[in-house]
Amino acid sequence: MNAIEVNHVSKSYGKVQALNDVSFTVSPGEVFGLIGPDGAGKTSMFRILCSLLLPDEGTASVDGFDVVREMKQARRRVGYMPGKFSLYQDLTVEENLQFFATLFGTTIEAGYDSIRAIYSQIERFRHRRAGALSGGMKQKLALSCALVHQPRVLFLDEPTTGVDPVSRKELWEMLGTLRERGITIVASTPYLDEVRRCDRVAFLQEGKVQGIDTPELILERFAAVFNPPGLEPSATQSQATEKVIEVSHLVKAFGTFRAVDDISFEVRRGEIFGFLGANGAGKTTAMHMLTGLNQPTSGTGKVAGFDIRTEYEQIKHHIGYMSQRFSLYEDLTVAENIRLFAGIYGMKDSDIKAKTDNVLRQLKFEGHKDALVRSLPLGWKQKLAFSVSIFHDPAIVFLDEPTGGVDPATRRQFWELISDAAARGITVFVTTHYMDEAEYCDRISIMVDGQIRAIGTPDELKHQFQQPDMDHVFTFLARQATRSSD
Amino acid sequence: MLKYLLQKEFLQIRRNAFLPRLIILFPIVMMSVIPWVMNQEVKNIKVCVVDNDRSTVSQQLVHRIEASNYFIFTGQQPTYSAALHAIETSKSDIALVIPPNYSKGQAQVLIAANAVNGTKGSIGASYLAQIIQADKLTSRQVDISSDAGSNSSTHTLYNPHQDYKVFMIPALFAILMMLMCGFLPTLNIVGEKEAGTIEQINVTPVPKWAFILAKLIPYWLIALFIITACLLLSWAIYGITCQGPLALVYLLAMLLALFFSSLGLIISNYSETMQQAIFVMWFFVVCLMLLSGLFTPTRSMPGWAYLTTYVNPMHYFIDAIRTVFVRGGGFTSIAHQVLALTLIGLTMATWAVASYRKNN
Repeated sequence: MNAIEVNHVSKSYGKVQALNDVSFTVSPGEVFGLIGPDGAGKTSMFRILCSLLLPDEGTASVDGFDVVREMKQARRRVGYMPGKFSLYQDLTVEENLQFFATLFGTTIEAGYDSIRAIYSQIERFRHRRAGALSGGMKQKLALSCALVHQPRVLFLDEPTTGVDPVSRKELWEMLGTLRERGITIVASTPYLDEVRRCDRVAFLQEGKVQGIDTPELILERFAAVFNPPGLEPSATQSQATEKVIEVSHLVKAFGTFRAVDDISFEVRRGEIFGFLGANGAGKTTAMHMLTGLNQPTSGTGKVAGFDIRTEYEQIKHHIGYMSQRFSLYEDLTVAENIRLFAGIYGMKDSDIKAKTDNVLRQLKFEGHKDALVRSLPLGWKQKLAFSVSIFHDPAIVFLDEPTGGVDPATRRQFWELISDAAARGITVFVTTHYMDEAEYCDRISIMVDGQIRAIGTPDELKHQFQQPDMDHVFTFLARQATRSSD
Repeated sequence: MLKYLLQKEFLQIRRNAFLPRLIILFPIVMMSVIPWVMNQEVKNIKVCVVDNDRSTVSQQLVHRIEASNYFIFTGQQPTYSAALHAIETSKSDIALVIPPNYSKGQAQVLIAANAVNGTKGSIGASYLAQIIQADKLTSRQVDISSDAGSNSSTHTLYNPHQDYKVFMIPALFAILMMLMCGFLPTLNIVGEKEAGTIEQINVTPVPKWAFILAKLIPYWLIALFIITACLLLSWAIYGITCQGPLALVYLLAMLLALFFSSLGLIISNYSETMQQAIFVMWFFVVCLMLLSGLFTPTRSMPGWAYLTTYVNPMHYFIDAIRTVFVRGGGFTSIAHQVLALTLIGLTMATWAVASYRKNN
């Protein structure tokens, strides 16, 4: 008997067809990947399999139980970890776990064996509120919660989005041990290294299954989508020596916790500067100080020639910013968002109009000028948000994990935009968890425990730490972290 | 710059599937329904009578009670204890005991009122006393001249029919302003916090005052709309019009809108979640309303509570709007309230700008 059977499932939301005649089977104990670009229908498929959504047509069964007619039995056998953590932020680690155990009529003690390997890693923080955990720990807790009732099938919807490479590796090691216990796993992911860890993958596009095969074959067949040719190293390698960011001995402390602990670095005009670090290493805090959202506890810094402690409002005239969370107004249209932010930066109406058309043409968005931002797929939103953040031609643009959860082809397009901006002389300061993106940067710094442990060009770093690629360099450094939070 | 921010706020309000309808429906529903309900007249008081006199005179009194709009006659009871039982079982609110010698004019009647609801009890009893008094005067031709000295005459000024609607409609204006201009801004900034868009705004060079002003102005316009709708509805439905200059009504409404929209934004600035913001706002709104003299005269509050009315803009507003709307007072008669409202409003607006932090 197959662990999962999906027969001719279709689902549409109004006019949008999310799933179109999807069929596949998964054998017990298999690790099965659901991959595809944003809006391909992956999440709808997960929700149908978890009996959270009714298919319009077709049938699906999990562990032998139909997800519509035998919903109750099917639900008992399913563990689901949605894309956004479903934890209660105000409950402690233990209370969260207790709650999910109670939901399934079991207890932590009864399910302890099945979660021991994962839960033991966070058990010493069991009295901490889930909201105060770092990304990696939240992920472990969410996984524990999904496993506490000993499900036969585990569904993971982009479990590693926004998670640093080290925590990602740990998650997949945990999934490996679950597989050995015979648990069937269905996961979706935008990361190619994770795709390769699956036994088989189904490639979904526009609601249709394009192919089901081993990861190698799928990635080869659809190389255009998954493995777009790398970017040419920017020809106009910045030779300018003018420094647009200078930071020395910057510290940000929250009570006794030093989120950013004495960092110093410089960024030259026109550079693409990669600011890497594990979750909780202090990247976002450092970036907030540079953009004037936060005041440093001590140390000095200059951004675009202005002091970050006293002249932060002037800095804001000269920078663009794109945050981790999607930051455009979802209830405004594409053009209205551009107009709003351009207007805030003091651009003239006529300039805004002309430039809007230009930018939309460049993004190939002309047809969506009056579409509500809410209705755009994630990758599009991110590209738009980036274009808005450099619309007023800032000296520097700060990008905080701009490509989290975006599929490889869109990420590639995104980085083309970044190179274009850099070629125009805009300095790009970017954080990312994708190590292939790190290779595109002119220079990189890696933060561990609030300090910069390495800084240099990608080649210099690989050489310095004797590692074959950036992924290994990062893992090598991040594993040295001693902070208890991660 | 303000232009772009304002445009954004209006677009967001318009795009909201729910808000524009709410803004239009809310005053209409409130004005059409509430004045009929919010009324402190005591009517339909249930009365039972223990008639120990059993004369034509006492019969006449009972008929008068039966005929009154204010009372529902629930029948005769044989004894006082039976009447009390009727009160205990909520069959009656008041028991009237007519003594044996009532027709001879000597004995006093007894009125026993259920005062669990104090207003109903005391007002009911005094209505009943009035009827008895009137009954004495007409039916037994008591020598009026002997009684003349104690006779007082009452003039009800400004609201001759003592219509509660006239009294309550200005108060309704205040409640509507409070709900619309208080709660909507409360949800606004904290909503941007939850959506994450505030961070994007905070890294732009937008001045704090411009951002806050762009948030306030739409609510002032909503306030203008509401007050206009209210004035029109009160004229159309109840035939009640403003006795004083309309400009003053608008002035007062704008000042109150300034206060409430600022208060909403302040709370929004300090809150992390919508839930928190709405609960804090609710607390303030209830306190401001109950301490304002909207339902109860402020002078009868204990001294310490009365002191709070000096900083309660609702109190000033209600005082002033009743003066203008009901009495037809001019600017001089409300100058003091206008000054107080302006001061409180400006303080709150300054605080709203100051409490919005672009930087930690």
